[in-house]
Amino acid sequence: MPLDLFIQQLVNALSLGGIYALLALGLAVVFSIIRLINFAHGEIMTVGGYGVFFSLLLGWPIPAAIIVGVSMSIIAAVAMERLAFRAMKGASVVSLLITSFAISEILKVLFQNGISARPKPIALPSELSGSYEVGGIVIGVIPTLSIAITLISLTVLTAFLRRTTTGLAMRAAAEDFDMVRLLGVRAGGVVAAAFALSGLLAGIAAVIWTAQRGSVDPLMGFFPVLKAFIATVLGGLGSLSGAVLGGFVVGAIEVFSQAFLPESLSPYRDAIVLGSVILILLVRPEGLIPPARVDRS
Amino acid sequence: MKAIRDVMLAGVSLAVIAGVSVSVAVAEDEYFIGVTSAQSGYLAPYDQPAYAGFKFCIEEKNAQGGLNGKIPVRLEVKDTRSDTAETIKAVQELVDDGAQFIVSPADADPTIAAGQITQAAGIPTMTFAGTAPVLTAVGEYIFGSYPADNQQATVLADFATEKGFERVYILKSPDAAYTLGGPEYFAEVFEKNGGTMVGESLYSLNQPDFSTIVTKIKSTEPAPDLIVTWAWEPDFPAFIKALRGAGVTTQVMGGDVLDTPTIRGLGDVVSGVYHTSGGFPEEGSDYADFVKRYEAATGSPPDNNYYVNGCDIANMIEQAIAAAGSTDPSDVRDALADIKDGKGIMSNFTFAGTDRMPLRPVVIAKIEEDGTKSFVRRAMADPDKLPQP
Repeated sequence: MPLDLFIQQLVNALSLGGIYALLALGLAVVFSIIRLINFAHGEIMTVGGYGVFFSLLLGWPIPAAIIVGVSMSIIAAVAMERLAFRAMKGASVVSLLITSFAISEILKVLFQNGISARPKPIALPSELSGSYEVGGIVIGVIPTLSIAITLISLTVLTAFLRRTTTGLAMRAAAEDFDMVRLLGVRAGGVVAAAFALSGLLAGIAAVIWTAQRGSVDPLMGFFPVLKAFIATVLGGLGSLSGAVLGGFVVGAIEVFSQAFLPESLSPYRDAIVLGSVILILLVRPEGLIPPARVDRS
Repeated sequence: MKAIRDVMLAGVSLAVIAGVSVSVAVAEDEYFIGVTSAQSGYLAPYDQPAYAGFKFCIEEKNAQGGLNGKIPVRLEVKDTRSDTAETIKAVQELVDDGAQFIVSPADADPTIAAGQITQAAGIPTMTFAGTAPVLTAVGEYIFGSYPADNQQATVLADFATEKGFERVYILKSPDAAYTLGGPEYFAEVFEKNGGTMVGESLYSLNQPDFSTIVTKIKSTEPAPDLIVTWAWEPDFPAFIKALRGAGVTTQVMGGDVLDTPTIRGLGDVVSGVYHTSGGFPEEGSDYADFVKRYEAATGSPPDNNYYVNGCDIANMIEQAIAAAGSTDPSDVRDALADIKDGKGIMSNFTFAGTDRMPLRPVVIAKIEEDGTKSFVRRAMADPDKLPQP
């Protein structure tokens, strides 16, 4: 394998893995605190995509469209918590899971019937669709931006979780929510902050995703979030750093299995990803980086 | 108590049976067409407009007394949600209700599933826009309506050869008969014309990322001068963004699924792409007139060919009934299969001598820089080159 080809595929793997990492982290932040696997996370991402689409439709500049897209995702996530999940406080993991499926289905039908079943185009200026050359290797602008934005987001988030009171409360809640409440931290605030954070991450993922794919449709969020869910399990369900690592690992397996296995095997790519995840979990049943929390339930 | 409940149940059952027999009695002087159409899910972008166009023309005909001015049509539509199991259920219900004709979703796979029921029941069935020629292999009651993939691919391959392209790279997905068959038919004709296929990649529907495939295309030796795919939305936008984003400027050509405002709205990346299409609303044509009538009636323009093709399905049924002189399902089937150069709005259609995928002219269009499409040519597929399904 020529080195330049390998580097190009590595960029592809990091770019895709970064999106999975952002989404997986959003799932993990919420799961670690209220034990909810939010399958409507994909629809939070879709809302962000439509935010970008409608802003561009109104003729707003790109930075404004990005801000609107991300903000819409945050609002959707917080509203979802307030309207659906808060009412289910104390419910079992299964009830919460089914609630999230219901929200996901309702939102998909609303997008299909309220906006359009057809994908909506997102046209970005040509300078964003271009590529540049470093030492003979041609790299796309969008994949580079995706990797940069992912890394910046993860760095800022780490700082937020380590340096701020809310971040500290969230990390503590992930380990032992009851103890945090006994110490006088408002539970509602921590949960809302977790949803807002997951919305922010989904919004950033939505912006990168729509920039890469050029369209937004009602089912847009479903497939990447499925992969992100696999990533959170691989990383260790409830572990924040595990989710990020899991995202990059899933992205890398997906890209490299298409890049380096024979073409006749590429329809089995998803099977290869899932098979690899099962193999890793056989060796490390708690995930790559198991969560610190001891589950008392 | 139980006795009372049983009596009530029996009463309700009787009422239901009576109701059904009343509706069947009413149905005798009208033609009952059962429609299965995905109003949500992956087929909705094709089924929604196809159904809208079909319904519009049926209503126009009903306003003038019905099919051929004398047989009013009763439509019953069921949403399949793009789900094959749901399609089977809906078709079974429609057949049980006495449907005399079934219009099935715009893809080969659900149409083949529907055909398992309608072929056995002897009810003529036509897909909204499924183009994979294998779909009629279910049996003699199953019909296509749109120019088949092998016709589209033959016309496109001849065009590509004429334009001087020599080395094609194929992108296909085994997940659907359409996305797999189109590029394979293209390659077959293109190689017959003297071209070579220098590489191919397989993708999955809704594949998250196309950059890996693009990197492969870039490293292919000898480099292709043409890339052909039958990928649809949202896969085609993702692919072309990744392709152009990686600095690959190779000519891209595709199937009729690219004839949508979504694709044309993608900006620079799709400029110069050629695709096949079922028709083109040139000024003064019947198609242009349909566009005006539809827009006047509904307030929104029919912005893709599935609308007008839906309308042509109504024309095909009407002409088959006129030729059969009856609404008996097997007579209608025979008459439909015998139509030669029937009058359509998108284009004329011939079923006679085919395996029930109509012979219709194929249009090639080009996406311009400003996001409009321009007419390139209209041609019938060369029957000597037509690949067999």
